[in-house]
Amino acid sequence: MKRKQWNKSILLLIPFFLLSAMFLIVPMILMITSSFTSETTGAFTLENYQEVLTNPFYYQAFLNSGMISIISSVVGLVLAIIVSYAMTNLPEKIQDKLTVYINVAANFAGVPLAFAFIILLGNSGVFRIFFENLDLPLLSNFNLYSWQGLAITYLYFQIPLGILFIYPSLKKIRKEWKEAAFMLGASNWRYWRKVGLPSIMPSIAGTFVIMFANGMGTYETAYALTGSNINLVTIRIAALVSGDIYARPIIGSTLAVIFAIIMILILIVSQMLLKRVRRDLV
Amino acid sequence: MKTKKKNYSSYAILTIFSLYMIFPFVSTTLYAMSTDWSKTILPTDFTFQWFVELIQDPNFNSAVLRSITLTLTTLAVVLVVMVPTVFLVYMYFPKVDSFMKGLVLMPYAIPGVILATGLLRMYSGSSIPMYAVLVGGLFIGSLPFMYQGVRNSLESIQTKSLIEAAEILGANKLTAFIRIILPNIKLGLLITTLLIFSSFFGEFVLTNLLIGGRYETIRIYMLRRMNENGHLASAVMVSYFILLILISLIITYLTSSKRKEKMKRKAKKVTLKNKEDMTITPQ
Repeated sequence: MKRKQWNKSILLLIPFFLLSAMFLIVPMILMITSSFTSETTGAFTLENYQEVLTNPFYYQAFLNSGMISIISSVVGLVLAIIVSYAMTNLPEKIQDKLTVYINVAANFAGVPLAFAFIILLGNSGVFRIFFENLDLPLLSNFNLYSWQGLAITYLYFQIPLGILFIYPSLKKIRKEWKEAAFMLGASNWRYWRKVGLPSIMPSIAGTFVIMFANGMGTYETAYALTGSNINLVTIRIAALVSGDIYARPIIGSTLAVIFAIIMILILIVSQMLLKRVRRDLV
Repeated sequence: MKTKKKNYSSYAILTIFSLYMIFPFVSTTLYAMSTDWSKTILPTDFTFQWFVELIQDPNFNSAVLRSITLTLTTLAVVLVVMVPTVFLVYMYFPKVDSFMKGLVLMPYAIPGVILATGLLRMYSGSSIPMYAVLVGGLFIGSLPFMYQGVRNSLESIQTKSLIEAAEILGANKLTAFIRIILPNIKLGLLITTLLIFSSFFGEFVLTNLLIGGRYETIRIYMLRRMNENGHLASAVMVSYFILLILISLIITYLTSSKRKEKMKRKAKKVTLKNKEDMTITPQ
């Protein structure tokens, strides 16, 4: 009786596994196998990897993506911590309202964001005209359509993303800890160094990894802002698999496999490190 | 005295941050309401002409329709498949459950571009229409949100003891699921649905790479217009923001009423401890 019911309910899981197989697992396996097939003969080969790893154009794409992601996540993380901390000092009601708007802002990416930044910082952007009127050459060397411009644009969605993860963990720090530390004679600085920071350190590290991965995977914003002019991994892969003139789907798959391996490694290593940090804490 | 001072600097930080966050919205709105804004700090005129032009553009209307169709089709598939799946896995298959927990990090490990590469490898040139592939890809992309959303709702109503109670009273699993679990997670499901709705509605990466210009959704329309006429594109974006803000207002409203409900339930629990089950069971 019991067994029969068990069998019946596993049947209900079939749609989920079928869809996952059709649209995630099998496509990923095909992508991996096709990265090992020759473009001309279709036989097994390693030449795609050889080409991707030796062609400076391709590893430059990884370097560019990595650089933009690291800068936008480090700066974004610092600002996210400052803003989250400031938020915890406000009345509950305002905090609730702010989290809603931050949620909206974290989703404000892609085409609309790119265009808003063109209006603000583009070649005839508002800030450019503003500083020109003041005779300040602050932006004269700045180019929005360069990797610096991309990093600044990414920052706009990285900060709210960081807050979404940092703010809840800051809220968990108990007021009692602070009071206890002060009672025992700790200064504010000493409290943060010995109690506050260590207790949120795992979530800071985890947030950094998520922000970095988010930056690496960004396609829409970069595409809307620079077309295919900036050599990023996502832009390169997209052009290789769907471009009309330069389409080389097999090389695109090879890049995608390497990209996926890097991302998965980063996530696994960070999870392992986080576990260790947590153990040390307890 | 000291805390007051700290509050002032907190307010200052948050004001600067809010200004920074609001600036792009304001500039897009101003741009949508002017005809010429290139050499001055503020636009020189004010008009609604772009919004009128937008409403009259049949391409805009069909782009909105396409986005809505795609969103609703995919949402239907996601809800019908995922709600029972997460429920069953949570209740009866803890091994599958721990596997599915790994899914939550998936969109960061496999960004849209990689998923699109795999899907194109498998389905381009096949007899399966790309539209169906797009729906499948979006389904995969929404798994983490759906899984977490449904699972959190199930946890918050203590599904396991509810089902146990229902079974002791003689209900079978299906009845218990439909008549007890579903009505209780309705609100949580609605919130998750709205979140996924806004992410599907603004989807770009998969749509652009899998189907591209052949199926012009709202984001693709936006990008095309952006390169032709910035003012009109801004008008599209402003309308789009208004929709998004409406959706998030609804979400906050629902979330706060959910919280209130929970508090009410807790209060009842204290006074009428044994009536707990009765307040949750429908009828």
